[in-house]
Amino acid sequence: MTLLEGRAISKSFGGVQALIDVDFSVSAGSIVGLIGPNGAGKTTLFNAVAGAFKPTSGKVLFNGQEITGLPASTICRMGVARTFQVTRPFAAMTCLENVMVAAINRRPEEPRPAIERRAREQLGFVGISELAAVEARHLNVIQKKRLELARALATEPTLLLLDEVMGGLNTQEINQAVAFIRRLRDERGLTVLWIEHVMGAVMQAAEWIIVLDQGRVLMTGAPQEVVNDERVIQAYLGD
Amino acid sequence: MTGKKPTVTAAIILSGMCVLPLGLGIYPQHVLITSLFYVMMAASWNLLAGYTGQVSFGHAAMAGVGAYTSGILAAKAGIDPWIGVCLGTLLAGLLGLGLGSLCLKMGGIYLSLTTLAFSQILHIIIVNEYDVTRGTMGLQVPGLMAEYSKLSYYYIMLAAAAALLAVIYRMIHSNLGMNFRAVQNDETAAASLGVKVLQMRVLAFTVASAMAGFAGALYGHYLLLITPEIPSLDLQFYVLAMTVIGGMGSFIGPIIGAFTLNILAEKIRDYGEYHVLVFGLVALTMARFAPNGLTGIWSRLRRRSTSAARPPAAA
Repeated sequence: MTLLEGRAISKSFGGVQALIDVDFSVSAGSIVGLIGPNGAGKTTLFNAVAGAFKPTSGKVLFNGQEITGLPASTICRMGVARTFQVTRPFAAMTCLENVMVAAINRRPEEPRPAIERRAREQLGFVGISELAAVEARHLNVIQKKRLELARALATEPTLLLLDEVMGGLNTQEINQAVAFIRRLRDERGLTVLWIEHVMGAVMQAAEWIIVLDQGRVLMTGAPQEVVNDERVIQAYLGD
Repeated sequence: MTGKKPTVTAAIILSGMCVLPLGLGIYPQHVLITSLFYVMMAASWNLLAGYTGQVSFGHAAMAGVGAYTSGILAAKAGIDPWIGVCLGTLLAGLLGLGLGSLCLKMGGIYLSLTTLAFSQILHIIIVNEYDVTRGTMGLQVPGLMAEYSKLSYYYIMLAAAAALLAVIYRMIHSNLGMNFRAVQNDETAAASLGVKVLQMRVLAFTVASAMAGFAGALYGHYLLLITPEIPSLDLQFYVLAMTVIGGMGSFIGPIIGAFTLNILAEKIRDYGEYHVLVFGLVALTMARFAPNGLTGIWSRLRRRSTSAARPPAAA
Protein backbone atom coordinates (compact mmCIF):
# COMPACT_ATOMS: atom_id res chain seq x y z
CA MET A 1 0.00 0.00 0.00
CA THR A 2 1.27 3.45 -0.86
CA LEU A 3 1.56 5.79 2.11
CA LEU A 4 3.11 8.81 0.45
CA GLU A 5 2.91 9.77 -3.17
CA GLY A 6 4.22 12.69 -5.19
CA ARG A 7 2.71 13.47 -8.60
CA ALA A 8 4.61 15.73 -10.97
CA ILE A 9 5.91 17.99 -8.20
CA SER A 10 7.69 21.09 -9.45
CA LYS A 11 9.10 23.93 -7.47
CA SER A 12 10.88 27.01 -8.72
CA PHE A 13 12.53 29.77 -6.76
CA GLY A 14 12.55 32.79 -9.03
CA GLY A 15 14.25 31.48 -12.15
CA VAL A 16 15.75 28.40 -10.52
CA GLN A 17 13.93 25.14 -11.07
CA ALA A 18 14.63 23.18 -7.91
CA LEU A 19 12.22 20.34 -8.70
CA ILE A 20 10.93 19.31 -12.11
CA ASP A 21 8.00 16.89 -12.47
CA VAL A 22 9.04 14.66 -9.60
CA ASP A 23 6.99 11.47 -9.31
CA PHE A 24 7.65 9.13 -6.43
CA SER A 25 5.92 6.86 -3.99
CA VAL A 26 6.73 5.39 -0.60
CA SER A 27 4.94 2.24 0.48
CA ALA A 28 3.74 1.81 4.04
CA GLY A 29 6.21 0.16 6.38
CA SER A 30 9.24 0.63 4.16
CA ILE A 31 12.52 2.44 4.60
CA VAL A 32 13.20 4.53 1.51
CA GLY A 33 16.45 6.35 0.88
CA LEU A 34 16.46 9.65 -0.99
CA ILE A 35 19.89 10.31 -2.43
CA GLY A 36 21.51 12.56 -4.97
CA PRO A 37 24.40 15.00 -5.32
CA ASN A 38 24.36 18.38 -3.58
CA GLY A 39 21.70 20.67 -4.99
CA ALA A 40 19.68 17.80 -6.44
CA GLY A 41 16.54 19.04 -4.64
CA LYS A 42 16.25 16.51 -1.83
CA THR A 43 15.55 18.94 0.98
CA THR A 44 13.29 20.98 -1.31
CA LEU A 45 11.23 17.85 -1.87
CA PHE A 46 11.00 17.34 1.91
CA ASN A 47 9.86 20.91 2.38
CA ALA A 48 7.19 20.51 -0.28
CA VAL A 49 5.94 17.29 1.33
CA ALA A 50 6.01 18.57 4.94
CA GLY A 51 4.31 21.87 4.12
CA ALA A 52 7.20 24.24 4.70
CA PHE A 53 6.17 25.68 1.34
CA LYS A 54 3.73 24.89 -1.43
CA PRO A 55 5.05 23.29 -4.61
CA THR A 56 4.68 25.43 -7.74
CA SER A 57 2.70 22.61 -9.30
CA GLY A 58 1.96 18.96 -8.70
CA LYS A 59 0.32 17.03 -5.91
CA VAL A 60 1.34 15.40 -2.66
CA LEU A 61 -0.85 12.58 -1.35
CA PHE A 62 -0.59 11.09 2.11
CA ASN A 63 -2.71 8.04 2.90
CA GLY A 64 -4.55 8.71 -0.34
CA GLN A 65 -5.52 12.22 0.82
CA GLU A 66 -4.23 15.31 -0.90
CA ILE A 67 -2.05 17.40 1.44
CA THR A 68 -0.52 19.78 -1.14
CA GLY A 69 -0.04 23.24 0.33
CA LEU A 70 -1.53 22.48 3.74
CA PRO A 71 0.17 24.23 6.67
CA ALA A 72 3.08 22.33 8.22
CA SER A 73 1.24 22.06 11.55
CA THR A 74 -1.74 20.35 9.88
CA ILE A 75 0.46 17.91 7.99
CA CYS A 76 2.24 17.09 11.26
CA ARG A 77 -1.08 16.44 12.98
CA MET A 78 -1.99 14.04 10.15
CA GLY A 79 1.04 11.92 11.04
CA VAL A 80 4.05 13.25 9.14
CA ALA A 81 7.08 14.19 11.24
CA ARG A 82 10.40 15.55 10.05
CA THR A 83 13.88 16.44 11.19
CA PHE A 84 15.92 19.29 9.76
CA GLN A 85 19.27 19.03 8.02
CA VAL A 86 20.54 21.95 10.07
CA THR A 87 18.97 21.23 13.45
CA ARG A 88 16.39 23.66 14.78
CA PRO A 89 16.12 23.11 18.54
CA PHE A 90 14.13 25.50 20.75
CA ALA A 91 17.41 26.87 22.06
CA ALA A 92 16.18 28.56 25.23
CA MET A 93 14.02 25.62 26.31
CA THR A 94 15.18 22.47 28.07
CA CYS A 95 15.41 19.19 26.15
CA LEU A 96 12.38 17.92 28.05
CA GLU A 97 10.38 21.02 27.11
CA ASN A 98 11.49 20.67 23.49
CA VAL A 99 9.95 17.21 23.32
CA MET A 100 6.91 18.24 25.36
CA VAL A 101 5.97 20.80 22.71
CA ALA A 102 5.52 17.94 20.28
CA ALA A 103 3.61 15.81 22.77
CA ILE A 104 1.13 18.50 23.88
CA ASN A 105 0.12 19.23 20.32
CA ARG A 106 -0.43 15.55 19.60
CA ARG A 107 -2.41 15.05 22.81
CA PRO A 108 -3.76 18.43 23.94
CA GLU A 109 -6.20 16.84 26.40
CA GLU A 110 -3.63 14.82 28.28
CA PRO A 111 -2.60 16.09 31.75
CA ARG A 112 0.88 17.50 32.23
CA PRO A 113 2.43 14.55 34.16
CA ALA A 114 1.44 12.10 31.42
CA ILE A 115 2.85 14.42 28.74
CA GLU A 116 6.07 14.72 30.68
CA ARG A 117 6.31 10.94 30.99
CA ARG A 118 5.86 10.54 27.24
CA ALA A 119 8.53 13.14 26.58
CA ARG A 120 10.97 11.43 28.94
CA GLU A 121 10.30 8.13 27.20
CA GLN A 122 11.31 9.62 23.86
CA LEU A 123 14.44 11.17 25.34
CA GLY A 124 15.30 7.74 26.72
CA PHE A 125 14.59 6.08 23.39
CA VAL A 126 17.13 8.29 21.61
CA GLY A 127 19.55 7.96 24.53
CA ILE A 128 19.71 11.48 25.98
CA SER A 129 17.69 11.04 29.19
CA GLU A 130 20.43 12.66 31.23
CA LEU A 131 20.05 15.90 29.25
CA ALA A 132 16.35 16.38 30.08
CA ALA A 133 16.89 19.48 32.24
CA VAL A 134 19.60 21.02 30.03
CA GLU A 135 18.75 23.93 27.74
CA ALA A 136 18.99 22.83 24.12
CA ARG A 137 21.51 25.55 23.21
CA HIS A 138 24.14 23.75 25.31
CA LEU A 139 23.95 20.55 23.24
CA ASN A 140 26.54 19.45 20.70
CA VAL A 141 25.56 18.70 17.11
CA ILE A 142 24.99 15.00 17.63
CA GLN A 143 22.93 15.55 20.76
CA LYS A 144 20.87 18.13 18.88
CA LYS A 145 20.17 15.58 16.16
CA ARG A 146 19.02 13.08 18.75
CA LEU A 147 16.82 15.70 20.39
CA GLU A 148 15.24 16.49 17.05
CA LEU A 149 14.52 12.85 16.50
CA ALA A 150 12.93 12.56 19.96
CA ARG A 151 10.78 15.59 19.17
CA ALA A 152 9.68 14.14 15.85
CA LEU A 153 8.83 10.80 17.47
CA ALA A 154 6.80 12.53 20.18
CA THR A 155 4.37 13.70 17.49
CA GLU A 156 3.59 9.96 17.09
CA PRO A 157 3.94 9.96 13.32
CA THR A 158 3.23 7.21 10.81
CA LEU A 159 5.73 8.70 8.36
CA LEU A 160 9.11 10.00 9.44
CA LEU A 161 11.15 12.26 7.16
CA LEU A 162 14.82 12.18 8.15
CA ASP A 163 17.14 14.79 6.66
CA GLU A 164 20.80 13.74 6.93
CA VAL A 165 20.87 12.33 10.40
CA MET A 166 24.24 10.62 9.95
CA GLY A 167 26.38 13.68 9.27
CA GLY A 168 29.30 13.93 11.70
CA LEU A 169 29.02 10.38 13.04
CA ASN A 170 31.90 7.89 13.11
CA THR A 171 31.63 4.36 11.71
CA GLN A 172 30.54 2.79 14.96
CA GLU A 173 27.94 5.49 15.55
CA ILE A 174 26.66 5.10 12.01
CA ASN A 175 26.11 1.38 12.59
CA GLN A 176 24.20 2.17 15.76
CA ALA A 177 22.10 4.75 13.94
CA VAL A 178 21.30 2.29 11.15
CA ALA A 179 20.16 -0.24 13.73
CA PHE A 180 18.11 2.51 15.36
CA ILE A 181 16.31 3.39 12.14
CA ARG A 182 15.53 -0.28 11.57
CA ARG A 183 14.09 -0.47 15.09
CA LEU A 184 11.84 2.51 14.33
CA ARG A 185 10.31 0.56 11.51
CA ASP A 186 10.33 -2.93 13.05
CA GLU A 187 9.20 -2.02 16.57
CA ARG A 188 7.15 1.10 16.00
CA GLY A 189 5.84 0.36 12.53
CA LEU A 190 7.07 3.67 11.13
CA THR A 191 7.55 4.35 7.47
CA VAL A 192 10.82 6.19 6.88
CA LEU A 193 11.81 8.47 4.01
CA TRP A 194 15.42 9.30 4.53
CA ILE A 195 17.80 11.76 2.89
CA GLU A 196 21.38 10.65 3.40
CA HIS A 197 24.84 11.46 2.13
CA VAL A 198 26.50 8.58 3.96
CA MET A 199 25.96 6.06 1.18
CA GLY A 200 27.02 2.96 3.11
CA ALA A 201 24.41 3.62 5.78
CA VAL A 202 21.50 4.24 3.47
CA MET A 203 22.35 1.22 1.30
CA GLN A 204 22.41 -0.98 4.44
CA ALA A 205 19.06 0.07 5.84
CA ALA A 206 16.87 1.09 2.92
CA GLU A 207 14.87 -1.31 0.79
CA TRP A 208 14.21 1.18 -1.93
CA ILE A 209 16.18 4.14 -3.22
CA ILE A 210 15.05 7.27 -5.04
CA VAL A 211 17.85 9.14 -6.82
CA LEU A 212 17.40 12.83 -7.55
CA ASP A 213 19.68 14.78 -9.84
CA GLN A 214 19.25 18.42 -10.86
CA GLY A 215 15.65 18.47 -9.68
CA ARG A 216 14.55 15.36 -11.56
CA VAL A 217 14.14 11.73 -10.58
CA LEU A 218 17.17 10.04 -12.12
CA MET A 219 16.11 6.52 -11.18
CA THR A 220 14.42 4.45 -8.50
CA GLY A 221 15.26 0.91 -7.49
CA ALA A 222 16.66 -1.52 -4.96
CA PRO A 223 20.00 -0.45 -3.42
CA GLN A 224 21.97 -3.00 -5.47
CA GLU A 225 20.55 -1.78 -8.77
CA VAL A 226 21.18 1.83 -7.86
CA VAL A 227 24.82 1.54 -6.84
CA ASN A 228 25.66 -0.27 -10.05
CA ASP A 229 23.78 2.06 -12.37
CA GLU A 230 25.94 4.01 -14.81
CA ARG A 231 23.76 7.14 -14.64
CA VAL A 232 23.95 7.29 -10.84
CA ILE A 233 27.71 6.87 -10.84
CA GLN A 234 27.99 9.65 -13.42
CA ALA A 235 25.72 11.96 -11.48
CA TYR A 236 27.92 11.58 -8.43
CA LEU A 237 31.31 11.59 -10.14
CA GLY A 238 30.51 14.00 -12.95
CA ASP A 239 31.41 13.46 -16.59
CA MET B 1 4.82 20.60 45.54
CA THR B 2 5.96 22.93 42.84
CA GLY B 3 2.32 23.89 42.34
CA LYS B 4 1.93 25.03 45.94
CA LYS B 5 5.05 27.15 46.31
CA PRO B 6 4.18 29.99 43.90
CA THR B 7 0.70 30.24 45.44
CA VAL B 8 2.21 30.65 48.90
CA THR B 9 4.75 33.21 47.67
CA ALA B 10 2.00 35.13 45.90
CA ALA B 11 -0.20 35.09 49.00
CA ILE B 12 2.63 36.45 51.17
CA ILE B 13 3.50 39.22 48.70
CA LEU B 14 -0.16 40.08 48.26
CA SER B 15 -0.78 40.41 51.99
CA GLY B 16 2.34 42.55 52.24
CA MET B 17 0.98 44.75 49.45
CA CYS B 18 -2.33 45.02 51.32
CA VAL B 19 -0.79 46.58 54.42
CA LEU B 20 1.90 48.54 52.56
CA PRO B 21 -0.06 51.79 51.87
CA LEU B 22 -1.67 52.01 55.32
CA GLY B 23 0.98 54.15 56.99
CA LEU B 24 1.79 56.12 53.85
CA GLY B 25 0.74 59.59 52.77
CA ILE B 26 -1.30 60.49 49.70
CA TYR B 27 1.70 60.99 47.44
CA PRO B 28 3.43 57.63 48.01
CA GLN B 29 0.02 56.00 47.63
CA HIS B 30 -0.32 57.70 44.24
CA VAL B 31 3.10 56.40 43.20
CA LEU B 32 2.06 52.87 44.20
CA ILE B 33 -1.18 53.11 42.21
CA THR B 34 0.62 54.26 39.06
CA SER B 35 3.19 51.51 39.63
CA LEU B 36 0.40 48.94 39.63
CA PHE B 37 -0.86 50.34 36.32
CA TYR B 38 2.64 49.93 34.89
CA VAL B 39 2.89 46.41 36.30
CA MET B 40 -0.19 45.48 34.27
CA MET B 41 1.17 47.20 31.17
CA ALA B 42 4.65 45.69 31.37
CA ALA B 43 3.45 42.20 32.30
CA SER B 44 1.01 42.05 29.39
CA TRP B 45 3.55 43.50 26.95
CA ASN B 46 5.99 40.86 28.18
CA LEU B 47 3.43 38.13 27.44
CA LEU B 48 3.62 39.25 23.83
CA ALA B 49 7.26 40.29 23.43
CA GLY B 50 8.93 38.06 26.00
CA TYR B 51 7.01 34.87 25.36
CA THR B 52 6.12 34.94 21.66
CA GLY B 53 8.83 37.32 20.44
CA GLN B 54 6.47 39.85 18.85
CA VAL B 55 7.42 43.45 19.51
CA SER B 56 4.33 45.65 19.48
CA PHE B 57 4.62 49.44 19.68
CA GLY B 58 0.87 49.74 20.03
CA HIS B 59 0.53 48.61 23.60
CA ALA B 60 0.14 52.13 25.01
CA ALA B 61 -2.29 52.84 22.18
CA MET B 62 -4.40 49.88 23.34
CA ALA B 63 -4.38 51.30 26.86
CA GLY B 64 -5.58 54.53 25.27
CA VAL B 65 -8.37 52.66 23.48
CA GLY B 66 -9.49 51.23 26.82
CA ALA B 67 -9.23 54.56 28.65
CA TYR B 68 -11.01 56.65 26.01
CA THR B 69 -13.72 54.06 25.35
CA SER B 70 -14.65 53.81 29.00
CA GLY B 71 -14.09 57.53 29.59
CA ILE B 72 -16.20 58.74 26.66
CA LEU B 73 -19.02 56.33 27.47
CA ALA B 74 -19.07 57.48 31.08
CA ALA B 75 -18.65 61.20 30.41
CA LYS B 76 -20.95 61.52 27.38
CA ALA B 77 -23.47 58.71 27.77
CA GLY B 78 -23.48 58.32 31.53
CA ILE B 79 -22.65 54.64 31.35
CA ASP B 80 -21.41 53.08 34.56
CA PRO B 81 -17.57 53.16 34.60
CA TRP B 82 -17.35 49.47 35.54
CA ILE B 83 -19.33 48.51 32.43
CA GLY B 84 -17.17 50.98 30.51
CA VAL B 85 -14.02 49.20 31.73
CA CYS B 86 -15.39 45.91 30.39
CA LEU B 87 -16.31 47.47 27.05
CA GLY B 88 -12.91 49.18 26.80
CA THR B 89 -11.20 45.86 27.44
CA LEU B 90 -13.38 44.19 24.83
CA LEU B 91 -12.76 46.86 22.18
CA ALA B 92 -8.98 46.76 22.70
CA GLY B 93 -9.11 42.96 22.40
CA LEU B 94 -11.15 43.15 19.19
CA LEU B 95 -8.78 45.73 17.71
CA GLY B 96 -5.91 43.40 18.66
CA LEU B 97 -7.65 40.52 16.94
CA GLY B 98 -8.24 42.60 13.80
CA LEU B 99 -4.75 44.10 13.62
CA GLY B 100 -3.19 40.76 14.50
CA SER B 101 -5.08 38.83 11.83
CA LEU B 102 -4.13 41.50 9.29
CA CYS B 103 -0.42 41.74 9.86
CA LEU B 104 0.82 38.73 11.82
CA LYS B 105 0.74 36.54 8.75
CA MET B 106 3.58 38.63 7.39
CA GLY B 107 5.60 38.01 10.53
CA GLY B 108 8.85 39.56 11.60
CA ILE B 109 9.03 43.32 11.75
CA TYR B 110 5.61 43.97 10.20
CA LEU B 111 3.80 43.82 13.52
CA SER B 112 6.18 46.42 14.92
CA LEU B 113 5.68 48.71 11.94
CA THR B 114 1.90 48.31 11.81
CA THR B 115 1.46 48.88 15.54
CA LEU B 116 3.73 51.93 15.36
CA ALA B 117 1.52 53.36 12.61
CA PHE B 118 -1.63 52.40 14.52
CA SER B 119 -0.42 54.17 17.62
CA GLN B 120 0.38 57.36 15.68
CA ILE B 121 -2.96 57.32 13.86
CA LEU B 122 -4.82 56.89 17.13
CA HIS B 123 -2.85 59.74 18.69
CA ILE B 124 -3.67 62.07 15.80
CA ILE B 125 -7.37 61.17 15.94
CA ILE B 126 -7.56 61.77 19.68
CA VAL B 127 -5.77 65.12 19.45
CA ASN B 128 -7.94 66.32 16.58
CA GLU B 129 -11.40 65.02 17.48
CA TYR B 130 -11.72 67.75 20.05
CA ASP B 131 -15.52 67.53 20.40
CA VAL B 132 -15.38 63.93 21.50
CA THR B 133 -12.01 63.63 23.22
CA ARG B 134 -11.23 67.21 24.32
CA GLY B 135 -7.88 66.80 22.53
CA THR B 136 -4.77 67.72 24.48
CA MET B 137 -6.91 69.47 27.06
CA GLY B 138 -7.92 66.09 28.33
CA LEU B 139 -11.29 64.50 28.94
CA GLN B 140 -12.77 64.76 32.42
CA VAL B 141 -14.29 61.46 33.44
CA PRO B 142 -16.10 60.24 36.55
CA GLY B 143 -14.34 58.00 39.05
CA LEU B 144 -15.05 54.38 39.79
CA MET B 145 -16.67 55.23 43.11
CA ALA B 146 -18.96 57.99 44.29
CA GLU B 147 -16.44 59.04 46.90
CA TYR B 148 -12.82 59.57 45.89
CA SER B 149 -10.34 57.73 48.08
CA LYS B 150 -6.74 56.94 47.20
CA LEU B 151 -6.78 53.88 49.39
CA SER B 152 -9.83 52.39 47.65
CA TYR B 153 -8.22 53.00 44.26
CA TYR B 154 -5.08 51.35 45.51
CA TYR B 155 -6.99 48.20 46.47
CA ILE B 156 -8.89 48.18 43.18
CA MET B 157 -5.67 48.46 41.19
CA LEU B 158 -4.00 45.84 43.39
CA ALA B 159 -6.86 43.40 42.85
CA ALA B 160 -6.84 44.10 39.11
CA ALA B 161 -3.08 43.63 38.85
CA ALA B 162 -3.21 40.43 40.90
CA ALA B 163 -5.99 39.01 38.75
CA LEU B 164 -4.20 39.94 35.54
CA LEU B 165 -0.92 38.45 36.76
CA ALA B 166 -2.73 35.27 37.81
CA VAL B 167 -4.15 34.92 34.28
CA ILE B 168 -0.71 35.48 32.75
CA TYR B 169 0.86 32.98 35.16
CA ARG B 170 -1.70 30.32 34.30
CA MET B 171 -1.22 30.98 30.60
CA ILE B 172 2.55 30.71 30.53
CA HIS B 173 2.45 27.52 32.58
CA SER B 174 -0.14 25.85 30.37
CA ASN B 175 0.21 24.21 26.97
CA LEU B 176 -0.41 27.62 25.48
CA GLY B 177 2.67 29.07 27.15
CA MET B 178 4.74 26.15 25.94
CA ASN B 179 3.54 26.78 22.38
CA PHE B 180 4.23 30.52 22.74
CA ARG B 181 7.83 29.83 23.68
CA ALA B 182 8.23 27.31 20.89
CA VAL B 183 7.03 29.94 18.40
CA GLN B 184 9.45 32.47 19.82
CA ASN B 185 12.38 30.07 19.70
CA ASP B 186 11.89 28.74 16.17
CA GLU B 187 8.60 29.03 14.35
CA THR B 188 9.56 26.68 11.50
CA ALA B 189 10.40 23.93 13.95
CA ALA B 190 7.28 24.73 15.99
CA ALA B 191 5.05 24.37 12.92
CA SER B 192 6.72 21.08 12.03
CA LEU B 193 5.71 19.75 15.46
CA GLY B 194 2.05 20.69 15.06
CA VAL B 195 2.05 24.16 16.66
CA LYS B 196 -0.44 26.46 14.92
CA VAL B 197 2.00 29.35 14.72
CA LEU B 198 -0.28 32.03 13.30
CA GLN B 199 -3.08 31.20 15.71
CA MET B 200 -0.70 31.41 18.67
CA ARG B 201 0.59 34.80 17.60
CA VAL B 202 -2.85 36.29 17.02
CA LEU B 203 -4.04 34.90 20.33
CA ALA B 204 -1.12 36.38 22.26
CA PHE B 205 -1.61 39.74 20.58
CA THR B 206 -5.36 39.75 21.26
CA VAL B 207 -4.97 38.82 24.92
CA ALA B 208 -2.16 41.33 25.48
CA SER B 209 -4.16 44.09 23.78
CA ALA B 210 -7.25 43.37 25.87
CA MET B 211 -5.10 43.48 29.02
CA ALA B 212 -3.64 46.84 28.03
CA GLY B 213 -7.17 48.12 27.38
CA PHE B 214 -8.24 46.91 30.80
CA ALA B 215 -5.28 48.57 32.56
CA GLY B 216 -5.78 51.80 30.60
CA ALA B 217 -9.51 51.98 31.36
CA LEU B 218 -8.98 51.59 35.11
CA TYR B 219 -6.12 54.07 35.05
CA GLY B 220 -8.27 56.66 33.26
CA HIS B 221 -10.97 56.45 35.92
CA TYR B 222 -8.32 56.86 38.57
CA LEU B 223 -6.72 59.91 37.00
CA LEU B 224 -10.17 61.43 36.31
CA LEU B 225 -8.58 63.24 33.38
CA ILE B 226 -7.67 61.29 30.26
CA THR B 227 -5.10 62.91 28.00
CA PRO B 228 -3.31 61.73 24.83
CA GLU B 229 -0.36 60.96 27.07
CA ILE B 230 -1.80 57.51 27.74
CA PRO B 231 -1.76 56.37 24.09
CA SER B 232 1.66 57.96 23.47
CA LEU B 233 4.96 56.55 22.36
CA ASP B 234 6.52 58.01 25.51
CA LEU B 235 4.42 55.69 27.61
CA GLN B 236 5.07 52.86 25.16
CA PHE B 237 8.82 53.14 25.50
CA TYR B 238 8.52 53.58 29.24
CA VAL B 239 6.73 50.21 29.40
CA LEU B 240 9.30 48.71 27.05
CA ALA B 241 12.17 49.94 29.23
CA MET B 242 10.49 48.52 32.35
CA THR B 243 10.16 45.11 30.75
CA VAL B 244 13.68 45.04 29.32
CA ILE B 245 15.29 46.32 32.50
CA GLY B 246 13.23 44.03 34.72
CA GLY B 247 13.81 40.98 32.56
CA MET B 248 12.00 40.04 29.38
CA GLY B 249 10.55 36.55 29.14
CA SER B 250 10.40 36.05 32.89
CA PHE B 251 7.23 36.32 34.95
CA ILE B 252 8.74 38.43 37.73
CA GLY B 253 10.86 40.67 35.46
CA PRO B 254 8.23 43.20 34.35
CA ILE B 255 6.83 43.49 37.88
CA ILE B 256 10.27 44.35 39.28
CA GLY B 257 10.96 46.64 36.33
CA ALA B 258 7.69 48.53 36.68
CA PHE B 259 8.14 49.27 40.38
CA THR B 260 11.84 50.08 40.09
CA LEU B 261 11.50 52.48 37.18
CA ASN B 262 8.31 54.16 38.28
CA ILE B 263 9.60 54.84 41.79
CA LEU B 264 12.95 55.91 40.38
CA ALA B 265 11.19 58.23 37.95
CA GLU B 266 9.42 59.95 40.84
CA LYS B 267 12.74 60.39 42.64
CA ILE B 268 14.47 62.01 39.69
CA ARG B 269 11.45 64.01 38.57
CA ASP B 270 13.33 67.21 39.45
CA TYR B 271 15.53 66.75 36.41
CA GLY B 272 12.54 67.13 34.15
CA GLU B 273 11.85 64.85 31.23
CA TYR B 274 15.41 63.58 31.15
CA HIS B 275 14.42 60.45 33.04
CA VAL B 276 12.95 59.00 29.83
CA LEU B 277 16.31 59.52 28.13
CA VAL B 278 18.16 57.95 31.06
CA PHE B 279 15.85 54.92 31.06
CA GLY B 280 16.33 54.53 27.31
CA LEU B 281 20.09 54.42 27.77
CA VAL B 282 19.86 52.03 30.72
CA ALA B 283 17.53 49.75 28.73
CA LEU B 284 19.94 49.75 25.76
CA THR B 285 22.89 48.94 28.01
CA MET B 286 20.97 46.17 29.71
CA ALA B 287 19.84 44.71 26.38
CA ARG B 288 23.50 44.54 25.32
CA PHE B 289 25.15 43.31 28.52
CA ALA B 290 22.38 41.74 30.57
CA PRO B 291 19.70 40.58 28.13
CA ASN B 292 17.75 38.90 30.93
CA GLY B 293 17.46 42.11 32.90
CA LEU B 294 17.56 42.53 36.66
CA THR B 295 16.03 39.09 37.24
CA GLY B 296 18.73 37.60 35.00
CA ILE B 297 21.50 39.34 36.97
CA TRP B 298 19.92 38.17 40.24
CA SER B 299 19.71 34.51 39.22
CA ARG B 300 23.25 34.64 37.83
CA LEU B 301 24.59 35.99 41.13
CA ARG B 302 22.67 33.36 43.04
CA ARG B 303 23.97 30.58 40.85
CA ARG B 304 27.51 31.85 41.31
CA SER B 305 27.23 31.96 45.09
CA THR B 306 25.73 28.45 45.31
CA SER B 307 28.34 26.98 42.98
CA ALA B 308 31.11 28.71 44.96
CA ALA B 309 29.76 27.27 48.19
CA ARG B 310 29.69 23.75 46.85
CA PRO B 311 32.63 21.80 45.48
CA PRO B 312 32.44 21.68 41.68
CA ALA B 313 30.20 18.76 40.79
CA ALA B 314 30.44 16.85 37.55
CA ALA B 315 28.23 18.25 34.76
